[in-house]
This record gives sequence, structure tokens and C-alpha cells, in this order.
Amino acid sequence: MRTQNATAYRFLAPYLLIFSIFWVWPIISSFLISFQATRTVPWRFAPTFNWGRLIGDPAFFNALENTLLILVIQVPVMISLAIVMAVLLNSPLLKARGLYRFAFFAPVVVGEVAYSAVFRLMFNLDFGIVNKLLNSVGLPKIDWFSNVTPAMAVIMIAVTWRWAGYNAIILLAGLQSIPDDVYEAATLDRVSKVKQFFYITLPLLKPVIVFCAVLSIIGTMQLFTEPFLITERGGPGGGTETLGLLLYRQGFRSLNFGYASAIAYTMAGLAIAITLVQLWLTRDPK
Amino acid sequence: MAAVTLSNVVKRFGVYEVVHGASIDVRDGEFVVFVGPSGCGKSTLLRMIAGLEDISGGEIAIGGKVVNDVEPADRGIAMVFQSYALYPHMTVEQNLSFGLRMNGNPKADTDRRVGRAAEILRITELMQRRPKQLSGGQRQRVAIGRAIVREPQVFLFDEPLSNLDAELRVQMRVEISRLHKELGVTMIYVTHDQTEAMTLADRIVVLNAGHIEQIGAPLDLYDDPANRFVAGFVGSPKMNFMAAKVVGIESGAATVELANHRGARLRKPLSQAPPAVGSDVVLGIRPEHFFDAGRGDCDISVKADVAEHLGSVSYVYADAGDEELIIEREASRQRASGDHITVSIKAERSLLFDTSGGRIR
Ligand SMILES: Nc1ncnc2c1ncn2[C@@H]1O[C@H](COP(=O)(O)OP(=O)(O)OP(=O)(O)O)[C@@H](O)[C@H]1O
Ligand SMILES: [Mg+2]
Repeated sequence: MRTQNATAYRFLAPYLLIFSIFWVWPIISSFLISFQATRTVPWRFAPTFNWGRLIGDPAFFNALENTLLILVIQVPVMISLAIVMAVLLNSPLLKARGLYRFAFFAPVVVGEVAYSAVFRLMFNLDFGIVNKLLNSVGLPKIDWFSNVTPAMAVIMIAVTWRWAGYNAIILLAGLQSIPDDVYEAATLDRVSKVKQFFYITLPLLKPVIVFCAVLSIIGTMQLFTEPFLITERGGPGGGTETLGLLLYRQGFRSLNFGYASAIAYTMAGLAIAITLVQLWLTRDPK
Repeated sequence: MAAVTLSNVVKRFGVYEVVHGASIDVRDGEFVVFVGPSGCGKSTLLRMIAGLEDISGGEIAIGGKVVNDVEPADRGIAMVFQSYALYPHMTVEQNLSFGLRMNGNPKADTDRRVGRAAEILRITELMQRRPKQLSGGQRQRVAIGRAIVREPQVFLFDEPLSNLDAELRVQMRVEISRLHKELGVTMIYVTHDQTEAMTLADRIVVLNAGHIEQIGAPLDLYDDPANRFVAGFVGSPKMNFMAAKVVGIESGAATVELANHRGARLRKPLSQAPPAVGSDVVLGIRPEHFFDAGRGDCDISVKADVAEHLGSVSYVYADAGDEELIIEREASRQRASGDHITVSIKAERSLLFDTSGGRIR
């Protein structure tokens, strides 16, 4: 038994080695770095240097506020939309189901840069299709990228477009695991389709919805590409700067690794905390 | 309470027709069992009565009213599904009361109906449990309870016992029978288990590949099957079918010779015109209708392959030419494989079929 294990570990060794160097060590190392002042050479140990700065930094709170705002609005909207999409996908009336399934999933595989560029174009002030559409129904143009609220809206729309279909596919799998005869029994019980949705589908889908919500929360906490590329580094004037972007600016522009590490740990901590609250709120009553 | 009438009911899935014009008259308060092999259309027929499947042709009437275009919930039926179809996230009590609650039934009445159903099925102590915390038999009871709560005119059961073990199946069978007596309502019950059909039914409808083969009381089907299919389907173990040839006819009788038992001849009185001399026929004999040598009209000798001793009786599996025979004997502990045994058959305890499966009476 023991020699067998040893053999197994020898085979695993190359993987474990690389895994430790490039995965485990950075996690430990960044934790240690967050307690060091990294703008001096050599770095010195200063436990309150970064963390102290964090709790008094308006830029951090701005990024935190933006991130949470996107989270509270975008995640529920996207999950609701995904549920609706999944229910439609599951409808026996739907033709060409495979095509829709592919179409819903496609945004995930589109390159981030390409998709960001397209969104920038679509929301362009003068030739974007969105403003053209607004004009054509008699509404005024919106300068999407010069004002904070519309810029935030663009980010939320973009993220929702990208991930709603992905969540819909996961939810569809959940929907398909609910047996047909439960709905048939409800039909015989004279329960309308709408009531069936609220009293049967939603409760039975809850674990999958929670799973999607947790994934989305973690994703949104790390939001980076969209504010970086679509609203040009968190513009206008930091109005769409997220924690991910702040981390990037501190770590890779200002090379302030200590502070960036502290931000990274804050993001991870928040994601875990929100997820735990979420799981606790939606737990099954015993 | 209500009668259920099916007239020339047809069901097509796309171009594929699976029920070919079924006409059945279920009387008020009757217990009718649809029985037949897997895929013969039993469930489809039941689901059409329930309104869960559209009717492609013909008419279904419940209580004298044609229901082809009536919503399932308005047909006065309740259905018990093979998989129970309980609401997994609700307690037993919520499962029973769900339909009534959703329709704004007064709470006092809902409580009364749920309480009564729970009492009838003896599930009062389980009311706060969820389906996952119940055994198969208990789940089945809850499923039946949910049907009772609706106070339907017709109960529909789709293989309700097939997920239970043998012992529980017998117990639940008795309970369903008791329920039928207690409630006195019409029940239509689907199964592929002929024992269930025989024990429960007032009348049995035998289906095969979307056709009705025969409708009749259990013992009528056993004694007087309309054709070889019904003869083979009803009774356990299955009826033996032996190849034979008509070797002589006279008025009101035919003499047949068994193909695999040289010289074994049986004179079979017939009420209809006998088939021509030389034509091939099939002689059907139930395992329980073999007699001791010399006690019947014709003796045959076979080599026993395997013997199953069940205590009260033994089943001897014997090879005769290319036919396998199952012979029921009184329990005898010594009989082992390889023995030759001689048994006797009686004309009055045999049935004659033509080669296409039709009965020759
Ligand atoms: N939704 C459907 N689409 C196409 N064909 C179907 C559909 N449902 C049933 N069938 C076909 O109709 C026939 C009858 O099916 P049905 O379920 O009524 O059989 P059954 O007698 O209940 O069999 P079992 O004992 O296995 O439950 C089968 O050949 C089946 O393949
Ligand atoms: Mg079936």
C-alpha cells in the first residue's frame, strides 16, 4: 500500500511541483506581501502600512462602491433573465432548440477584447447603433461614456449579455431534471402554469439558482475587462472603476505590490463573505 | 361517480399510430384493469382519459359527457402515477392539500378532506415528512391520498405498484381493493402484471400493440380466451402451446396429433366447423392442466430438464422436440432433472388455435 502511494506521488510530483510554485506559493506570498511596504527598496515588514491605507483610501471605497453597485443590480437582473431564457429554452413549443442553445452560449466563447470593442462601437455617441435606435423612436442620444450612470449601465448590459446565456444553460439542466409528471400532477390539481412556475419550478430549481448566483457574485467581484476596455480604465473619472481595476492600477501600473495584495485579499474575503450570507439565507429549512 | 366510455379512440404520435380505435365501456363504480405487454399503449390510453394526451380520433366520455376538449382538471378524474410524482419540496400534508390550496378551497374543508384521506391510508403520523423521508410504500400511499383528496369520480392508476417489492405489492394490492370497496368509485388501473389484473379487476381489457384483444371478467379470460395472445397472457405460469396437425374430422369434433409426441392423438369436440384434415393447429394447455398418466384422454412422455419446488406445487420444465413445456405437479421432493415423466392431457382442458393465433372453438 505504502509503496503504491509512493509511486503515485512520484507520478504526481511534476504537477504538484508546478502547482505549488505557480499557485500555492503566490497565494501565500501575496498574503505576506500585503504586510510589507513595497515602495521602498528593500521591502520592509510593516503590518499596518497597506491595510491602514486601505481603510482610509477614497479610491478604494469608490471602487468598492462601484463593484457592489454592479453586483446588486446586475446579478439579480441577469439571473432572472437567465431563468426566463431557460424556461423558454425548455418549452416544448420551441423549434430549433439546438440553435438557441448555441446562440445563448456563444457570447462566452467570444474573445473579451473583441466583444468589448463591439460594445464600445454599439454605444458610440455619433454612430453607435444604440443611439441610432433611440433617435429613431424619437428619444435623444445619450452620451454613454461621458457620464457615470450611463457608463455603469453599459457595463452591466455588457456583462449581462456575456453571461446570461451561460447561466441559462446551467439552469436549463436544472429544469430538465424536474420530472414531467410532477407538472402533470399539478395540472390535474388545477394549478395554472404561472402558479406551477412559482410553486414548483422555482423551489425545485433553487439549488441551481443559488449555484449560478454564487458563480456570478464571484465573477462580478473580480470584474475587470469591461471597465478596462469598454469604459476605458474605469472612466469617466473613476466612475466605473472596480476593485479589479484598482488592483491592476496599484499592482501593475504603480508597481505597489503590497497594496495590490491587500486589495486582492479584500476582494476574496468579500466574495467569500457574500457567498456565505447567500448560502445561509437560502438554506433549506430543517 | 361516473361511467367512462371510449368509442373508437385513436392515438397518433406524428404519423405513428399507437392506439388503433379502442372502444371500452367502463361502468359506473367498476374496477377495470388495462393489461398488456410493454409498449402496447396502456399508459397512452389512460393519459388520454386523464387529458394529458390529446385524442387523435374517436371520443371519450366521462359521466355521459364527451370530454375530448375538456381540461384535465375539469374531467372529475384523479391519477396516481407510476413514479408517484409527489412534489419533492413539500411535506406530505402540503402534497395532499396543494391542489385545494391553490384553488382557494376553504381551509376547513381542505383540512377535513386531507384528514380523511390520511386516515383512510393510515399516513396520519407521516404528515410532516417530505417524500424523500418516506419508504416506497408510504410514498405510494401519499400519491393515492392526493388522488382521494380531490374526491374524483374516476380514479386512474398507471402501474402504481411496479416500483415496490413483491411483498409490499401484495399488501398494497389488497389496500387498493379495499379502497375501491370503501369509496365505490370507478377505477381504471394499468398494469403489465397479469396477477395484479386477475386479482383486482371486475373486468380486464387485454391490449396488444394498440389493439384490444379481449375484454372480460378475469376468470372468463382464463377459461375462454378469444385468441392465443390472451391465452398466453392470462395465467401464470404461461399456457403451453404445442404444435399439432389435424388428422381426422367428424361432425362436431377434430382429432389432432401432437407434432412432438409421436402417436399422441387427442379427440377435441368443437362447436364450429373443424379445420380441414392436414392443417396445422396449435394445442394450448395450461401447466396446471396436466394429469397423472392414464387419467386424461391422451398420455405424453417428456424428459424433465429442471424442476422448481415451490412447496405446495412443483414446476417441471421439460423439453419435447423444439418445444419447452411447463408442467405443474403436486409437490414431490424426489423428482430430479433427467427423469422421464408421463402425464396426461384432457380435451376439455385444452384449447385449439389456428396458426395465426385465432381460437378454434
Ligand atoms: N410522446 C410519445 N411520442 C412518440 N411515441 C410515443 C410517445 N409516448 C408513447 N409512445 C409510443 O406509444 C406506444 C405506447 O406507449 P405506452 O407508454 O402507452 O405503452 P405502455 O403500454 O404504457 O407500456 P409500459 O408497460 O412500458 O408502460 C409505444 O410504442 C411508445 O413508444
Ligand atoms: Mg406505461
